[in-house]
Amino acid sequence: MENLQKMLNHNKKESMKLVPYNFFPKNRKGQIGETITWIVATLVLIAILIIFIFASVALSKVKTLKTDIKANAADSADWINAKTQVAYSISSVNKNKIQLWISQEGGIE
Amino acid sequence: MKLKTMNKKGADKILTIYWFVILTLIAGGIFAMVYVFYSTPYDVRGIEGEIFAERIADCISRQGIIDQSFFLGKDFDKSMTGEKFTKKCNLNFNVEEGYGDISQIQYFYRVEFYTLKDLTKANYSIYDGNINWESDCAIKKDSKDYTRLAQCTEERLYALNQGGEQYLIRILSVVGKSAKNVKS
Repeated sequence: MENLQKMLNHNKKESMKLVPYNFFPKNRKGQIGETITWIVATLVLIAILIIFIFASVALSKVKTLKTDIKANAADSADWINAKTQVAYSISSVNKNKIQLWISQEGGIE
Repeated sequence: MKLKTMNKKGADKILTIYWFVILTLIAGGIFAMVYVFYSTPYDVRGIEGEIFAERIADCISRQGIIDQSFFLGKDFDKSMTGEKFTKKCNLNFNVEEGYGDISQIQYFYRVEFYTLKDLTKANYSIYDGNINWESDCAIKKDSKDYTRLAQCTEERLYALNQGGEQYLIRILSVVGKSAKNVKS
């Protein structure tokens, strides 16, 4: 009887001991891991969307139609240069001087 | 047992809402991308300026000979003004809003004739259109607001007059139209 009393007292003491609260009980760890995965996935998705939006903004800024007629003179007609060539066939005196002056075009003052 | 079933239903509902949010995000992102890209107009002023200059060159020189209407005898006919030349070439600047209003004209051109004796100073010059655009040509390409300015194209060609005198011709064509070609 005395022994039983001792045992009960011991158990009472043991149960009175402060046990730290388990914030992450074992059965919830899986759920938390899964939630973090979803949050990270959402953030990655938002980041990718932002990158794509910035890329489309950058691409929209370079929407300029450009044709370098002189560079493609072999397959398309550079009418102005053709006019000069026709004029050379009439008179090609001072051709170098004329050619030098023409090559300076684009330096708009 | 009943409680467990209720929890499961709640989790499913939250997941459904999450999926709708994700779907809205993706749809909104795609919409934003398409809107941003397609709401920006193509800038075609460079090509327009080249075509404009070619049209002017075509009107000045044919078969390498400068049109006789520019000359009065051996010298340039000073009565051949820009307005007359524009009419002669059938150029029409009144294509934008504000038809007939000179300040609303979106084009400008200047044609300069040089002789081989002096290639620095033009022997004769004509111009027409909105002269306010010409000053934009002096601004360098790397400046911040360059795209909002008028686009300038310079073309040079060589031609002779009927008497065989050699002339060098500089054509400057300017296209404004920044409202229609550049996103504000």
